[in-house]
Amino acid sequence: MMTSLKKGLRSGIVFGIVFIFLMLIGFINVGSNMIGDLLGNMENLGEEARLPVSNLLIFSGLFGLFTGINARKDEGDGKWWSGILGGLAGGLASGWLVWLAVWGSGSLYMQGVDFRTYLPNLGPERMRYLLFYSTPEAAANTYLTYFILFSLAGSVLAWAVSAVHGLKRGLTRAKESVTQWLDTKTVRQIFDNKWVLAVVMITVAALLYFLPLAWGSYWNYIMGTVAIYILLGLGLNIIVGYSGQLVLGYVAFFATGAYTFALLTSPAPHGIELNLVLAVGLSVLVSTLTGLLLGLPILNLRGDYLAIVTLGFGEIIRILIRSDLLTPLTNGPKGVTNVGQPNWFGQVFSDVNYMHLLMLLVLAGLFVAKRLKDSRTGRAWIAIREDQTVAQATGINTYGYKILALLLGAAFAGLGGALFASRNQFTGPEDFTLMVSVNVLCIVIVGGMGSLPGVVVGAFVLKGLPELLRELADYRLLAFGALLVLMMIIRPEGLWPAKRTRFRRLNRDPYENGAAEVEV
Amino acid sequence: MTQAAIYSRGITKCFGGLTAIDNIDLIVPEHSISSIIGPNGAGKTTLFNCVSGFYVPDKGEIHFFGQPIEGFPTHKISELGIARTYQNIRLFSEMTAIENILVGQHTRMQSIWVESILHNPRYLREEKAALQQAFDLLDFVGLSGLGDTPAHNLPYGAQRRLEIARALASQPSLLLLDEPTAGMNPQETAEMTAFIKNLRDSRQITILLIEHDMRVVMDISDQITVLDYGVKIAEGKPAEIQSNQRVIEAYLGPGAAALSKKFKRKKTHYA
Amino acid sequence: MIKKLQNLKLTPGLILRLLVGLVVLIYLGWRIYQIAFGEGTYGPDTWMRFLITGLVIGGMYALIAIGYTLVYGILFMINFAHGEVVMLGTFAGYFMLEAFASIPAPTPADPDLTFLNAQPVIALVLTFLAGAGVSALLGYLLEKIAYRPLRGAPRLIPLISAIGASIFLQNAAQLLFGPQRRQYQNPDLLWRGTGWMIPVGGKEVMLTYTGAFSFILSILLMVGLFILVKKTKLGKSMRAVAENKQAAALMGIDVDSVISKTFIISGVLAGAAGVMWGIHNGLFNHFVGFIPGIKAFTAAVLGGIGNIPGAMMGGMLLGLLESLGPALLGLDFQLKDVIAFTILILVLIFRPSGLLGEALTEEKL
Repeated sequence: MMTSLKKGLRSGIVFGIVFIFLMLIGFINVGSNMIGDLLGNMENLGEEARLPVSNLLIFSGLFGLFTGINARKDEGDGKWWSGILGGLAGGLASGWLVWLAVWGSGSLYMQGVDFRTYLPNLGPERMRYLLFYSTPEAAANTYLTYFILFSLAGSVLAWAVSAVHGLKRGLTRAKESVTQWLDTKTVRQIFDNKWVLAVVMITVAALLYFLPLAWGSYWNYIMGTVAIYILLGLGLNIIVGYSGQLVLGYVAFFATGAYTFALLTSPAPHGIELNLVLAVGLSVLVSTLTGLLLGLPILNLRGDYLAIVTLGFGEIIRILIRSDLLTPLTNGPKGVTNVGQPNWFGQVFSDVNYMHLLMLLVLAGLFVAKRLKDSRTGRAWIAIREDQTVAQATGINTYGYKILALLLGAAFAGLGGALFASRNQFTGPEDFTLMVSVNVLCIVIVGGMGSLPGVVVGAFVLKGLPELLRELADYRLLAFGALLVLMMIIRPEGLWPAKRTRFRRLNRDPYENGAAEVEV
Repeated sequence: MTQAAIYSRGITKCFGGLTAIDNIDLIVPEHSISSIIGPNGAGKTTLFNCVSGFYVPDKGEIHFFGQPIEGFPTHKISELGIARTYQNIRLFSEMTAIENILVGQHTRMQSIWVESILHNPRYLREEKAALQQAFDLLDFVGLSGLGDTPAHNLPYGAQRRLEIARALASQPSLLLLDEPTAGMNPQETAEMTAFIKNLRDSRQITILLIEHDMRVVMDISDQITVLDYGVKIAEGKPAEIQSNQRVIEAYLGPGAAALSKKFKRKKTHYA
Repeated sequence: MIKKLQNLKLTPGLILRLLVGLVVLIYLGWRIYQIAFGEGTYGPDTWMRFLITGLVIGGMYALIAIGYTLVYGILFMINFAHGEVVMLGTFAGYFMLEAFASIPAPTPADPDLTFLNAQPVIALVLTFLAGAGVSALLGYLLEKIAYRPLRGAPRLIPLISAIGASIFLQNAAQLLFGPQRRQYQNPDLLWRGTGWMIPVGGKEVMLTYTGAFSFILSILLMVGLFILVKKTKLGKSMRAVAENKQAAALMGIDVDSVISKTFIISGVLAGAAGVMWGIHNGLFNHFVGFIPGIKAFTAAVLGGIGNIPGAMMGGMLLGLLESLGPALLGLDFQLKDVIAFTILILVLIFRPSGLLGEALTEEKL
């Protein structure tokens, strides 16, 4: 009983503090508005409209629910009322914390204190909403009641779910049987059939062709960004995911690629308006050379040193680009405008064309990355990542392979950079901050280190999702940071972890399930 | 007179103020099974590491079939034909068994990254041959059917055998085994002993091993080198070493030599 | 020595290093010649000013760098969120000073007097305690929430978690307190811009009170930490856990507790540095911890990561390099960060374990 009480208390305190935090940053209001959108009761609000407090109640209720669920989670001991106790404790803890906060701030507000000097997101309008447009005491009591009630409800809910014993086991068994069925001969034969593959590929190709036409230029822009970040992710995946080198300055290669392309194809500042294909080639070349320049002296550095040096390198590139020293070359902080646009027989690319081009390049990138992974080179990289000393003793020239990974990764970044500059028609030093490196690194790791579907999924989640949640614009980065921490704790292997290749026995029946026939 | 697989003279290696090994001469005849034994801390692994290129000896020279190899990087040494296993198994744990062996074949393959992308005929041929050889090696070490298991999922004995398979994959002429029977029960030890003998006989390679299990050492070694406190104290055939006073005292302390004479036993043979 | 030279293999890496070293030496020599014998754009008074600035900021970097190195030494991870720990200490100090400045303490002589100026010493002490306390608490929570669950995981995982925590904290501060820059309200005693005038080379250079104060406090804290690590039981436990967690646990050391305490200590130093920053530099916002954090980590690496005197030295050195570097090398002040990073890269090329070497053990085979 004590454990569930303690759990309840802890869960209550945590959720209470989180709720107060969200209050202070104004997220409660935004969250309630979102609920309002969902429920559709936000329309037709007149001038002096008061935002529906029901939404706020629902929002707080959810919090209570989570408190209760958390208090009851994984409760192994059978006593049904211990969970309820935990829920009660949680509700009391969070409820009283919130009560204090609301009553305290509400009273201060009533006395005329304006919080905005210190807490800009807690203006008068928001305060009134939080107080349900009534007095601090009434509001605080409402919160308390709601938290207790919903916390109890939450714990009951959690208990109900866990009480249905078979549920969890049934789910796992279902999953197992599905996996087994997929592995059987007939199913595998279907998927290996040439015709089936052809049909699948044609459907996918058709989808890829028609989607950009259908979803409008806003989505083309977002998906285009996702595509470019997939390319970047593929490149960094080779460096970090395959060969295991922690490079935190990937943006340096991105920047050199983008700037090379921009400077070569824009009328200003140099007036070279080079053929675009050539420009792209040169961008890739310059990025690769940057990779060589960075790689040669530092490659024998240990992991964390490598990280900080590459981070420094990324910053150096950015600072140099915008410095007075190099402004004659790079146009300094003003950036480069009128970057060359690709055209097909004289007609400039529309956003649809761009999307198609990007899709083709992404497919090509995935193709190259996959082929590299399942080859002698790929195995050498992974061996280096696993155990560099032993890899070298097994005959792999680690130095050479690490540089190769760096060069190839840089090449991908160069390509991405050229596309980036071209699509935006402009590029400047502020496009290449440390955050870009961090973003790409997170895409690789959150997606699944060394995994190609992982990179795609990672790019979608980390670059595409924030666009979907436009409403929460201010809170995006906050959520991003929290998501990263959570992902690492809950699922460090990534959203779509890398799977090692299964080789079928060469001379025998290709569908024989090798692993089953072993006595150990 | 066959050229020695390893001919080394005066090997000395110091770490800070400590001299790990001092002025060791070691000659490993071709096609032999030679053992290095000695109490813990005697410097056996240090010597091993010098021969396999992990350490650069402070003094001395090492010749591999006549070619000096001190100071060579380890991948070069692997290329020349020396392969090794490790005291605490160091497989590539996330890779499957087959992949570990394929990595072992790295030096004997030529294809470069461009070919990996293009899948040109030479690349495909090489990969196919490599895969075939990998499966053969898997069978040879008795791990048939376990090819797709991630290395860290294999039981201990299987992991040891996989490490040997990986070492054999580079077609070495000299195989260094670091305590191959560590942690094994008598039956596994007997199997490993037979396996090592078979290795030498069927593949015509030279084997140098570090071992603590005296039965194994006495059973299969053609030559035994004994180290103690970094110095070579005895060398010769098993029978000589068994009755060597210094060796006995190194292991059992002073005065033990007299005792051992009393309780001298015949070598036992395992089926 | 001769044998070593004979054994030296001419790898491309080595050739590159020698070339780079040569270029650097030639350039430095030329610059030194210019400064010593040329007209020199800067008089000795300017150099003195640079020196003072360098020392003051070096002290702060050193405190932050120690925080990084302590955590790295014990967990082998880069605490990316350490800069934000500093930043929140700065905020805490700010609020304390604001609070003191709004408590009236009128005297007949001065009816407008506030507590801040009536009892400046107490106010400052409490401010520093608040800053250090908040940062220490944050460090403790950070470890408990974001790092402890990832204790056994491969290197990159806690790093990403740290990055996530850093982003979260930065934005939390921004959302809580707003993006605008705030200014520290110093007590009159320590008003920014006031100080002793020192005659140097005919002219006068100001040694600010805030600068001197920060520097002395930094030194005191560093000495205190040094004593803690070398002489106390906790320090020994910390060193034991850093060297070998399992052995330490077997010796009866509560590893989790020691790790928490390490984070708390590094937080205390970070908070103090944060308050110092506010007092000396004045303006700050939620972003104030980020760049100094990266630079301080650079300093820790410069001195040899995991090595506490190394972090101290690295921090001081970085501060001096930042301040004196551009003038010394004849480059634009814009590029001062570039100089810092370039020096780091150069040092690591020639001494991969940092200047004072890392306190790590050899790899066992």
